[in-house]
Amino acid sequence: MDAKLTEVAQLFERFKAASMRNDFDSATNLLSQLKVLLTEFKSLPPLFEESPNAIQELTIARDIYEHAVVLSVKTEDQDAFERDFFQLKPYYTDTGSRLPPSPQEYPILGLNLLRLLVQNRIAEFHTELELLSSSALENPCIKHAVELEQSFMEGAYNRVLSARRTVPHETYVYFMDLLAKTVRDEIAGCSEKAYDYLSISDARQMLMFSTDKELYEYISEDHPEWEVKNGSVFFQKVKESAPSKEIPSLQLINQTLSYARELERIV
Amino acid sequence: MAATVSSASGLLAMLNEHHPLLKLHALSNLNAFVDHFWPEISTSVPVIESLYEDEEFDQRQLAALLVSKVFYYLGELNDSLSYALGAGPLFDVSEDSDYVHTLLAKAVDEYAVLKPKESSQESEKVDPRLEAIVERLLDKCILDGKYQQAMGIAVECHRLDKIEEAIIKSDNVHTTLSYCINISHAFVNPREYRREVLQLLVKIYQKLPSPDYLSICQCLMFLDEPEGVANILEKLLRSENMDDALLAFQIAFDLVENERQAFLLNVRDRLSDPKPHPSDVPSVQDSMGSSTGNAPPADVDMTVEAPAAVGNVLDPSEMTYSERLARVRGILSGETSIQLTLQFLYSHNRSDLLILKTIKQSVEMRNSVCHSATIHANAIMHAGTTVDTFLRENLDWLSRATNWAKFSATAGLGVIHRGHLQQGRSLMAPYLPQSGATSGGSPYSEGGALYALGLIHANHGEGIKQFLRDSLRSTTTEVIQHGACLGLGLAALGTADEEIYDEVKNVLYSDSAVAGEAAGISMGLLMVGSASEKASEMLAYAHDTQHEKIIRGLALGIALTVYGREEQADTLIEQMTRDQDPILRYGGMYALALAYRGTSNNKAIRQLLHFAVSDVSDDVRRTAVLALGFVLYSEPEQTPRIVSLLSESYNPHVRYGAALAVGISCAGTGLSEAISLLEPLTSDVVDFVRQGALISMAMVMVQTSEASDSRVGTFRRQLEKIILDKHEDTMSKMGAILASGILDAGGRNVTIKLLSKTKHDKVTAVVGLAVFTQFWYWYPLIYFISLAFSPTAFIGLNYDLKVPKFDFLSHAKPSLFEYPRPTTPPAATSTVKLPTAVLSTSAKAKARAKKEAEKAAIAEKMSVEETSSVVAASSGKGKAVAEKEGESLQVLSFLVDSASEKKPEPEPTFEILTNPARVVPAQEKYIKFLEDSRYTPVKLAPSGFVLLKDLRPSEPEVLSLTDSPSSMVSPAAAGSATAAQQSQASSMAVDEEPQPPQPFECSL
Repeated sequence: MDAKLTEVAQLFERFKAASMRNDFDSATNLLSQLKVLLTEFKSLPPLFEESPNAIQELTIARDIYEHAVVLSVKTEDQDAFERDFFQLKPYYTDTGSRLPPSPQEYPILGLNLLRLLVQNRIAEFHTELELLSSSALENPCIKHAVELEQSFMEGAYNRVLSARRTVPHETYVYFMDLLAKTVRDEIAGCSEKAYDYLSISDARQMLMFSTDKELYEYISEDHPEWEVKNGSVFFQKVKESAPSKEIPSLQLINQTLSYARELERIV
Repeated sequence: MAATVSSASGLLAMLNEHHPLLKLHALSNLNAFVDHFWPEISTSVPVIESLYEDEEFDQRQLAALLVSKVFYYLGELNDSLSYALGAGPLFDVSEDSDYVHTLLAKAVDEYAVLKPKESSQESEKVDPRLEAIVERLLDKCILDGKYQQAMGIAVECHRLDKIEEAIIKSDNVHTTLSYCINISHAFVNPREYRREVLQLLVKIYQKLPSPDYLSICQCLMFLDEPEGVANILEKLLRSENMDDALLAFQIAFDLVENERQAFLLNVRDRLSDPKPHPSDVPSVQDSMGSSTGNAPPADVDMTVEAPAAVGNVLDPSEMTYSERLARVRGILSGETSIQLTLQFLYSHNRSDLLILKTIKQSVEMRNSVCHSATIHANAIMHAGTTVDTFLRENLDWLSRATNWAKFSATAGLGVIHRGHLQQGRSLMAPYLPQSGATSGGSPYSEGGALYALGLIHANHGEGIKQFLRDSLRSTTTEVIQHGACLGLGLAALGTADEEIYDEVKNVLYSDSAVAGEAAGISMGLLMVGSASEKASEMLAYAHDTQHEKIIRGLALGIALTVYGREEQADTLIEQMTRDQDPILRYGGMYALALAYRGTSNNKAIRQLLHFAVSDVSDDVRRTAVLALGFVLYSEPEQTPRIVSLLSESYNPHVRYGAALAVGISCAGTGLSEAISLLEPLTSDVVDFVRQGALISMAMVMVQTSEASDSRVGTFRRQLEKIILDKHEDTMSKMGAILASGILDAGGRNVTIKLLSKTKHDKVTAVVGLAVFTQFWYWYPLIYFISLAFSPTAFIGLNYDLKVPKFDFLSHAKPSLFEYPRPTTPPAATSTVKLPTAVLSTSAKAKARAKKEAEKAAIAEKMSVEETSSVVAASSGKGKAVAEKEGESLQVLSFLVDSASEKKPEPEPTFEILTNPARVVPAQEKYIKFLEDSRYTPVKLAPSGFVLLKDLRPSEPEVLSLTDSPSSMVSPAAAGSATAAQQSQASSMAVDEEPQPPQPFECSL
C-alpha cells in the first residue's frame, strides 16, 4: 500500500468518525481534503489508468463518495447531494467489471430518485429509471421510490404522505419530509385550476395545514396572487388570453408575389 | 478489462465544487474528453464561461479553451473563435486536429477581412490576440517549409512583412518568387494592393545575388516604371558578357508582347545614348517625325540609330553598347518583332484560296452584305501575310463594292498588309486622298485607305501619326474624317497624346453622325487605360448630342479609357450603368468588361449577370452577357459554365451575347466545353444568334486541327453547307463567311490571344476584340479583330537578331497539329460518293470474295492515290456488267478494302521543326529542345520570340528566313519556296521584307 493511499484511508477514517458523531463542519472539511487527494489517483474515472493499486483506490474512492452523499443528506444540502451523487455515479456505471457491487448502491440510487421526485424533475426521474435493470427495480429501495412516483402521478396524495412510515432506509426521512411540501404545491396548483374560490377551512383541510395561520403564511409566501376575503380564498385566474397567433398574411402574399416576379425575370 | 467513462456528468458536477483544485481537475479532464462528451458539456457551458470570466480563477485560459471546443462542436464558429482567442497560448496552432484546423481557417479568414480595413480607415483595430494567432501560424508554416501556404496566407492578410520573410527564408527563392507573382496576378485584389505586393517583389528580386531580370521587368511593367526597366536594360547592355545582351533582347521582346505602346516608348527614350553623344533621342525623333513629309515614315527609328552609332569614333566598349542599343530600341519600338512576324506569316502562308472561291461563287451578286462579308473574310484570312492574290484575280468582282462597302474593301488592304510598316504608305498611295488636287477618288476609298493605314500601323504609329493628322485636318468630308479618326486612334493607341486628342475632339464637336462615331471610338483608343478626366468630358458630350451613332461611339470610347483600372473605374461605371440612355448603359457594360478584363472579379461578374437579366434594353442585356467573356478570359474554363444557362435564354439577344462571350474568353483554346455550348447555337432559330455562334465557334476553333477535335471538321462542312445553301438567311450566311475567314485567319498561322505568355493582358488584342464586337452596328469595325491575332510561331533569334537554322522537337504526332488539308475541287466529291453507295449492297459479294483471288491481287497493287479514279472508272464499266455477273461489285469491294488497309501508315510520334516554325498553342507542351543542338534558348519558351545562345560561335551560321545579300551563307531551308520570289526584292534597301506587291488599282 503506497503512502497516498494510506493517507487517504486514514483521513477517510477520521471523516467517517466525524460524520458518525454528526460533527458536520469538520466532516465537510475532511471531505474536501479527501476529494483533492483523490484527484491525484490516475486510476479513478475518467482516466481509468491501470495501476497496481487500482482496485483499492477505486473502492476507497467509491466509499468516500457514498459517505459524502449520505453526509449531504444529513446536512440537508441538496446541491451537495447532486454534486456528490454525479461524482459517485461513474463508479456504479463504469466499474462494474472491476469492482464488486457496493451494498450501498441501491439505497443511494433510490435516494437520488426520491430527490428528483421531490424537486419535481419527473423527466430526469424516468431517465434514471430507464437506466436501471429489471432486477434493480425489485430492490425495495428503488421500488419505494417508484411506487411513490406512481401515487404522486395518480393524485393519491394521502398514499404518498402515509408512505413516510414505510421508509426502507433512515436517510430517506429527510426527503420524505420535503415531499410533503411538493405534494402541497401540487394540490395548490390543482385547486387553482379547479375552483374559483374555496372557504378558508376547506382550503386549510385541502392543503393539510393544521391552523389558519399556517395557511396565511403559505399564501403570502408562495401564492401572493391569491386573495383572502369574506372568509374565502379567491384564486385569481390569470385570464387565459389565448394568443391566437396571427398569420402575417399580407406580408406572406407580398413575398410570394415578389418571388414570382423574380422567377419570371430570371433568364 | 479497460473501463471507459460513459458520462461527463461526474466531472461537470465537480466544476461546482468549491475547492479550486477540484475545478482545475475537472476542467483539464473535461478538456481531454470534450471530443466525446461535448453534447453533455454544452449544457454546462454557462458554468464554464463563468469560470472564464472569474478574474480570480487562475486557469481562465483552460476554461476558455474548453468553451471554444464546445462551441466548435456546436458549429458556433464565431463564439468558438472568440473563446479560442481568450485561451491565449493554450490554443496550439500546431495541433493536428479538426478543431484546430477549422479554427485556424476561421481566424485567417477573419484576419484577412479585418486587416485590409484597418489600414484603409483607422476604424477598427484588429484584435491583437487574433493577430498573434495568425502570426504564430505563419511562423510555423515558414518553419515547416510550407512557404507557399505561408505566402498565400500573408498575401491574403495584407502582411507584406510576412511575405518577404517567407520568400527570403524559402529554399528556392526563384520558384517562390514566381509563384508569388502568379498568385498576385490571379488572386490579389484590389489593384492598389497588388501594386504594393509587386513593388515588394521587385525589391526582393533586386536583393538577390542573381536577379531574374525577366521577371523583374515584367513586374516593373505592371507597375508602370519605365525608369527601372531602362536601368536594367542598360546595365545588361553595357555588360561585357554577350549572354547579358541576349537577355536584354529577350526582355525587350517579352515586354513588346504585352503591347503597351506608351510604356515601351518611355523605356526606349530613357535608354541613355553612348557617352560621346549626349544628344537626347526624343527631340531628334520628334523633329524627324514632323519632318517626314513623303519619306517612308516607318524608317524613323532605323535612321536615328544609324548616325548615332557610326557617325563618330567611339571606344570599343561604347561601340558594342551603341550597337546593342540600336537593336534593343528596334525591338522596343516593336519593329523587329513586326518584321519577323510579317516574314513568318508571308513565308508560311497556307491560306486556301479555293474556300474563298467557293464563297465568291455561291454568294449572290446582288447581295451586298455577303459580298462585303466575303471581302472581310478574305482580309482576315490573309491578315498580315501581304498576299492579296484573291483581290488581284477578282478586280471586276471587287468593283461591285460601293459606298461603305468600298470603304471596307480598301480598309481590308490594311489588314492584309498589317505590320508592313515600310511599304504601307506606298501600298495605299493610290487610294489616299491627294492633297490639293481634287482627284476623282471616291471619299469612301480615301477614308478606307486612312483606316487601312491605321490598321497597318496599329499600336506602332510613330511614323504615320503625322500624316494621318494632316489628312484629318485637310478634309471636311465626313467619310474621310471617319477613316482618319479610326486610323489615328489605331496608330496612336494608348499614347494619350493631347494634341491628337484635341484634333479628334474638334471632329466630334462638328456633330456629324458618321465622323462623330469614329471620333468617339478614336478618343477612347487614344486614351486606353488612362482613366483621365477626358472621360467625363466625353460623357457630357454624349448627353448633349442627338445622334445615337455619336453616343455609341463615345460610350465605347469612355469604356476604353478605363481599361484595366478595376476599382478606380467604379464611379464612372456606376454613373454609366445608371444612365437613362440605354446606349450609355451599354457603354457601361463595356466599361465593366474592360476595367475588369481578365480579372474574373466576382463583383464585376455579379453586376454583369444582374444587368444581363434585368435591364430593359436588349442591347444592354446582350452586351452584359458578352462582357462576361472579357472579364473571364483569364480563366476560359469558367465561361461555358457561367453562361450555359444564359445560352438557353428565351431572349435571342442574350443567347447571342452568350455565344460571343464564349467566343471571346475561349478564343483560340479549342476548349471542348465551349464547342459543346456553341454547337446547338449554330442551328438556333434566330438568324443573328446563328451568326454570333458561327463567329464565336470560329474564334474558339482557330488553329485547332481536325485531328485533335473532330468537330472542327464538322464545323467546316457546316460552314460550307450554310454558304452554299440558297435559302439560308443573309445574317447567318454572313456569319458563316466571316467564320471561315476567322477559322483560317492569317494564312492559318495566327490565333487569337488575349494573354501574353506571362499571363499579362495584351492591351491591343483586348481592345481590338472589344471594338470588333461593335460590328453589330458597323461592319467596317470587323477589321479590329486583326489586332487580336498573334502568330503561332516559334521564332528563334541569334545575337544579330537574325533567324539562324535551328531544329527542335515536337514530341507529338505531326498530324495532331498539321495544317488543315486544302480543299479539293468539287469534282472529287462526286466520285467519293460512288464506292459508298456500292458498298452498302456488297454484303453478298464479300462472301464470294475469296474465290476471286486474282482480282484481289491486282487490286492490292494499286496505290491508294489511284483508288478513287479506278473506282470511278470501273464503276462506270461495272454498271453494264453488274446485272449479269456482279463481278464488278467484288472488284469494288476489294478496292475499297485494300485502300482502307493501306491508309494507316505508321505515323512518327515526333516531328522535327525548323526555326522559324509554326507552333500552335496546343502544341506548346510537346515542344522540346534538343540537347546537342548548337543553340540553346535564353528562356525556355515554346513559342514566340526566343533569343538563342550560340554555343559554337566560331562556326559559320546558317540563316533561314532571310535572303539578305550580306549573309550569303546558303539558301534558307525553310523559306526555299519563297526564296525565288524574295530574291527579287533583295535590291530593296530593307532586305528582310517580302517583296511588296505591285501596286494595283482596282476601280474602287
